[in-house]
Amino acid sequence: MADEVVIEAKGLTKAFTETVIAVEDAIFQIPKGSFISLVGPSGCGKSTLLRLIAGLIDKTDGNISVRNAEVTGPRKDIGLMFQKAVLLEWRTAIENVLLPNEIRGDVGPEAKQKAWDGLQLVGLKDFEFSFPRQLSGGMQQRVALARLLQTGADIMLLDEPFGALDEFTRERLNVELLRIVDDPEITTIFVTHNITEAIFLADKVFVMTPRPGRIAAMIDINLPKPRTIEMETTPEFNALIKEVRDVLSGHLDGAPL
Amino acid sequence: MSDVSSDGILKGVKELSLVHKLSMHLGVFVILIGGWELGSRLGYVNELIMPPPTAIGYRLYEMFFITGSIYWHYFVTMFEAVCGFIIGVSIGLSLAVTSAISPVFRRYWAPYAVVFNVTPGIAVTPFIIAWFGFGWSSKIALAALVCFFPPFINTLTGLLYIDKDATELFRSLGANRKQYFWKLQIPSALPIIIAGLKLAMTGALIGAIVAEFFSASEGVGILMQRFAFRLNMDGSFAALIVMSLMGLSLFTLMEYMDVKVLFWRRHSRMEEVSKKRKAKWSIN
Repeated sequence: MADEVVIEAKGLTKAFTETVIAVEDAIFQIPKGSFISLVGPSGCGKSTLLRLIAGLIDKTDGNISVRNAEVTGPRKDIGLMFQKAVLLEWRTAIENVLLPNEIRGDVGPEAKQKAWDGLQLVGLKDFEFSFPRQLSGGMQQRVALARLLQTGADIMLLDEPFGALDEFTRERLNVELLRIVDDPEITTIFVTHNITEAIFLADKVFVMTPRPGRIAAMIDINLPKPRTIEMETTPEFNALIKEVRDVLSGHLDGAPL
Repeated sequence: MSDVSSDGILKGVKELSLVHKLSMHLGVFVILIGGWELGSRLGYVNELIMPPPTAIGYRLYEMFFITGSIYWHYFVTMFEAVCGFIIGVSIGLSLAVTSAISPVFRRYWAPYAVVFNVTPGIAVTPFIIAWFGFGWSSKIALAALVCFFPPFINTLTGLLYIDKDATELFRSLGANRKQYFWKLQIPSALPIIIAGLKLAMTGALIGAIVAEFFSASEGVGILMQRFAFRLNMDGSFAALIVMSLMGLSLFTLMEYMDVKVLFWRRHSRMEEVSKKRKAKWSIN
């Protein structure tokens, strides 16, 4: 893995009001090609941190830079995915995947071919012309993933993308996600409140604690790759879960929930 | 596959065969109308208050097929209602779009639309007649006035309440204002806009007829009033039924548009459109 830093935060802070501090003094460097999980309880500022990186909201203090440039707004090399698939209901799957191209004004044969291939890659062969309502929740997220790939972004910010799906679908999609982003050029930040999922996917887990939202620990995950579901039962994996839990409970003891 | 819209939330009625359903409808209809007719014939119902269905039916037959007198009135009222609808909807839609785009306009101008709406439209009929005269234009004006509000408020609501995640998606993709408006705001708002148009259609018909009641020389409204003033109740009722027919035909038109435009709300239509899009697809 190259050590080139793509995302860097120094003292990054976001306060919504004087007392509501969503993110406080975040300091981190994310190397190119790595997969970072951002785990923490609801309301700990994970999503806010993700939106700061995406340039969707303005910081209150500190610095956030992507490829050595201060983030001032949405960037072409950053793609987003949400807990909801956010598909346009009046467009077929492939038309949804082509949305990024349409917005950039380059819907040519190349873009169309890429969208077609993207849908095959996420396992939606034969569903290219289905409308979102004709697809299951898991399939809708697959379309959203294909759309994300279509943007050509090499920094992927995923905000609990499979959080609304059932356990089985989620596990399968996680494995497929790893296969797709297993590329030294692609840097991924994955927000979740599921500790197992966070560890399973990541090279490094950032543990966030609430009020104020802080990154309490950064834990390296040195499990072998490619990851398999069976690893989740190994002693090493359980030790990592305990480590994350200890960080969270250390901060949560006595805190009002 | 059945339609989402017609599925019904509570399935109280068991699914029957078409013949069975039709005969049930017919049965209920015959009981109602037959009871009424019988009541009249046996003298329980005063014919001056409630004429028997056969008399009304005959009057309708006469209007449509013997004298043909109804057609012109029908056309006049329809024309007034539809013109009023078009004008009212145009005003409502443009006010809504302007309000959605400009917060300043929304804050300082839109409240007048609300005041306008809470003032009973019917009450301004005398003004409308004073301003626009006794001809068709006053009816069109009242129809427009009565029907502009539902499209306005529905369109404004639809354009403003856009899914937050979808907005973030569009921002992150670098969409400009125009793309955001045409590719997200308008299609997201379409269902509620069309619901507003349906309300406006009925409103426009009411507006046109009420204006005719005040003063008119032609139209179904004035026709009905003339019959009523002469205590010609069967004629009056016949005119009322003609009004229902008008409302029904306009409403059917709106339903048709609903089904055509909002295809993503109905499974059967989605399948159709899906096939069409597939056939149209080419990599070039």
